[in-house]
Amino acid sequence: MTTTTSHVTPTLAATARGLTRVHGRGDAAVSALRGVDLDLPAGRFTAVMGPSGSGKSTLMHCLAGLDTPTSGSVEVAGRALDGMDDTALTLFRREHVGFVFQAFNLLPMLTAGQNIALPLELAGRRLTGAVRERHDLVVDVLGLRDRLSHRPAELSGGQQQRVAIARALVTEPEIVFADEPTGNLDSAASAEVLGFLRRSVRELGQTVVMVTHELDAAAYADDVVVLADGAVRAHLVEPTADQLVAALRGEQVR
Amino acid sequence: MRTVLLASLRTHTRRYVAAAVAVVIGVAFVVVTGMLSASARTGMTASVGLPYAEADVVVTGLDGAEAREIVRAAAGRGDRAAVIGFATERARVEDRLLTDNVRVGAVADDERLRWQEVREGRLPDAPSEVAVDVNAAKSDRVGLGDTVRLGSGDRVVEAEVVGLVDTPSAAPGTDFLLTFADLETFVDGLWVDGVVYAGPGAGSLEQRTDRDVVPAPEHVQAVQADITRGVDVLATMLLVFAAIALFVSVLVIANTFTILFAQRARDFALLRCVGATRRQVLRSVRVEALVLAVVASVVGVLGGTVLGLAIVAVVRRVVADDVMGTTLPSPAWYAAALATGLVVTLVAAWLPTRRATAADPLSALRPHDVDVRTTAGRVRVALGLVAAAGGCALLALAIASHEVVPMLAGGIASFSGLLLLGPVLVPAAVRLVGAGVTRLTGTPGRIATGNAVRNPRRTAATTASLLVGVTLTTAVLIGLASSRHTVEEEMDQQYPVDLTMTADAPLADDLLADVRATKGVVDAVELAGTTAELDGQGPVTLVAAPEGTTGVLRGTSGVASPEPGSIWLPDGLLTEWPEDGRVTVTVEGRTRRLSLNTGEGWGDAAVVAPATLARLTDSTTPRAVWARADDAADPEDLAGDLDALAVPAGADLVSALGERDWVDLQLDVITGTVVGLLGIAVVIALIGIGNTLGLSVLERGRENALLRALGLTRRQLRGTLAVEGLLLSLVATVVGVVVGAAYAWVALRTMVDAVADDAAMVLPWGQLVLVVVVAGLAGLASSVLPTRRAVRTAPAAGLGMD
Repeated sequence: MTTTTSHVTPTLAATARGLTRVHGRGDAAVSALRGVDLDLPAGRFTAVMGPSGSGKSTLMHCLAGLDTPTSGSVEVAGRALDGMDDTALTLFRREHVGFVFQAFNLLPMLTAGQNIALPLELAGRRLTGAVRERHDLVVDVLGLRDRLSHRPAELSGGQQQRVAIARALVTEPEIVFADEPTGNLDSAASAEVLGFLRRSVRELGQTVVMVTHELDAAAYADDVVVLADGAVRAHLVEPTADQLVAALRGEQVR
Repeated sequence: MRTVLLASLRTHTRRYVAAAVAVVIGVAFVVVTGMLSASARTGMTASVGLPYAEADVVVTGLDGAEAREIVRAAAGRGDRAAVIGFATERARVEDRLLTDNVRVGAVADDERLRWQEVREGRLPDAPSEVAVDVNAAKSDRVGLGDTVRLGSGDRVVEAEVVGLVDTPSAAPGTDFLLTFADLETFVDGLWVDGVVYAGPGAGSLEQRTDRDVVPAPEHVQAVQADITRGVDVLATMLLVFAAIALFVSVLVIANTFTILFAQRARDFALLRCVGATRRQVLRSVRVEALVLAVVASVVGVLGGTVLGLAIVAVVRRVVADDVMGTTLPSPAWYAAALATGLVVTLVAAWLPTRRATAADPLSALRPHDVDVRTTAGRVRVALGLVAAAGGCALLALAIASHEVVPMLAGGIASFSGLLLLGPVLVPAAVRLVGAGVTRLTGTPGRIATGNAVRNPRRTAATTASLLVGVTLTTAVLIGLASSRHTVEEEMDQQYPVDLTMTADAPLADDLLADVRATKGVVDAVELAGTTAELDGQGPVTLVAAPEGTTGVLRGTSGVASPEPGSIWLPDGLLTEWPEDGRVTVTVEGRTRRLSLNTGEGWGDAAVVAPATLARLTDSTTPRAVWARADDAADPEDLAGDLDALAVPAGADLVSALGERDWVDLQLDVITGTVVGLLGIAVVIALIGIGNTLGLSVLERGRENALLRALGLTRRQLRGTLAVEGLLLSLVATVVGVVVGAAYAWVALRTMVDAVADDAAMVLPWGQLVLVVVVAGLAGLASSVLPTRRAVRTAPAAGLGMD
């Protein structure tokens, strides 16, 4: 069962209650999530860990409104996602959620600058006033000022992920989901990307939820949620490396 | 979304080229059709009124003798009249035979009714003077001062060329213009378009003739309306082919969009992830299609205009200035062409864009390759079966009832069924052919077969476009070959002898040998005979067809071996059919009653069996030579050579070769035109095949790199793609030929069986093999560009591709 270390937070960025997700039907049915209850605090950098097939990605997709749970409820930024139709979900994502993926993160025909501005453009927001300030801040924090006119193919893997992070942050979303953002990167670039994700939490006050299976990556996070067999095994607040390893091994954590 | 749209257009422009080319060709086709019909209409109607300009009224519906009467009567009353018409006669220039069928007309006797433009010399004013059309003079090498001999037998006019004239009118074109007094020689065979009449008596003319008398302007309008109708019919036929080309374009464009969007599925999904609504994505790709439609249609309109102007210029230079004006199509026509391009593109893009935007955002997150396998849906297969079965039933009904409407409906329905079932049928056929190819080429063949069938819907869509063109081409080729066969049988009946020389006096003994020695003559026989008296017909040349005549004749005309006691008379010699079907033949006092047969095509002689002739006379002399020409012989040269023998011998030469040649030429022109017009659709289809291959190569970059890394040589990779192109085009072509043959058979049974029982279906094997070979080669050629791209990529670079 779930072992949750109590933690007092004034606001929650996302909550899940009794979340289940079954892929396929009949004999081929596979339960990716089996009744997940989870509270993700705002303004924190949370890592979701677990072995392959533990349901990490499915959990993230359900939380982000990309996938519809079989049962249970999800609330993100104070709104219940169940019952929203495709367009409503899209508009919700556009305004409240940012994404960083492992690969294929950028539209190849757009420049870095256009990729970053894309969510604003989709929402019909102009690059003026506060939006412009936010955009410039994000671009500067991520050190992309002199890369804006480059196309993705002209950027290194680490630079591409930085562009993706900038794109995720530019709309000031309530929550940013990162799916194995360092999966394709070497260790130096990984450190750089993780550093930026942490800075965005510390300096810009964002909430970041990152799915990863790398311990090194999880070390950058404030909190770690450990999943196993479609359920939450532990939700650790600022765990030590030993606590984390123990939780991953399946030991009860005190 | 505007940034995305612009960037997409910039990035994907090159991949849209094939689709754009398909639209451009279709739109240009429509514009050229409009241009040619508008130009032909203005060109042909502009000067059609010239011959009638000075006339008060026009009399129509006359034969030659009636026309002559009116002209004579007009002269008697002091009015002016002239005949617009011509006789078709043989022409010799300075003893050189031109042809058997030049058009001989007359200039008006009165200055004011003359409308021809003199280019050199003057118009004929007296008997034995002739003016020649400049174009005819050029092609027949006739000059001022030459002596022209028009006509044959005892109706001959000899005249000196006194002028070269231009006849800028679509009214009956005449090559030789005599005075009317000379033209009266041919009054029996004169075809009269009308008699123009001017003068005080014009008002009362209606009371003096029972033929139609109309005011000249009204007549001109009627002629113009006729021409316009004719041009409109031609334009409509051209538009049918344009419609076929556009239909093929729809298939090509739809396929291009489907493939492109499949490749961009992850782009769309990512857009959806970062907040684009489904409608935003849909609108973006639709605008992309719209931009393509607008650009391609405009280019098509401009290209069509330029091409049309070029064709008009060539026609004016090669044929004659006055055949065509230079007239742009009406604005409405332009608008219609533009709209057609837009509609075709947008209709073709409709389904693919819908399907593309159905992608859910999650698919952007799946790390696997874009896999675009598709299968045939059950609904599609069921619909296809229903359409095919219903179509076949309608076709059967059409054969039973000889009705064209169920035939067309059945054809369309069954072909739609075939296209719908394509995703099931085509891959099966590809596998079948591919198995054979694999035996020949090994691995490349196996990979190519696998690639060609991995996406049944795409394979079917790609081949469908070619299938349309090949099926229609085959049906048309078989239909024309079959009708050519029927026409030829009819010609054999109508013109059993290629060349005849007949004389009313004995021929020189060595004539037969000379004829046999002439180049182009396969065989010849000499017919002995005498001059006989037929009751009521006057003297005729009576000859006997000896044994071996059958070998010289074409077909199975009875004239080759008349029954003893019967006689074959040329149609023209008989004025009245005797009641008992027998005629009395008298030679030097000996008389026989012979049963009568008539026919034509062997000159001016009556033909009997040798035994019959022997009973009538004991002394015969050579009277006729019949010759069979080599099929490859040039009709004009051969007739000229034999004429040179016939004239000194005092014999009259009649050649059927010109007539045969003319019919052959017409059939060739029809075949060439139809195949050429359908060829446009085939070209579009082949562009489509090249496009599918090219886009598939982009999609399979990583796969091809893997194959190369695993040891597939560059040559083998090239072979793989070539085999894939070959498989697609061959399967489409072979299926098309079979289906086209079936449709041709149905059409023959439906339309020809109603009028003739024994219309055989003729398969023009040579042409059909050519269709398959050309399509196969084109399939190979279409793989050239994609192949270059595929083999250029190094294996490592390909594996790293995303």
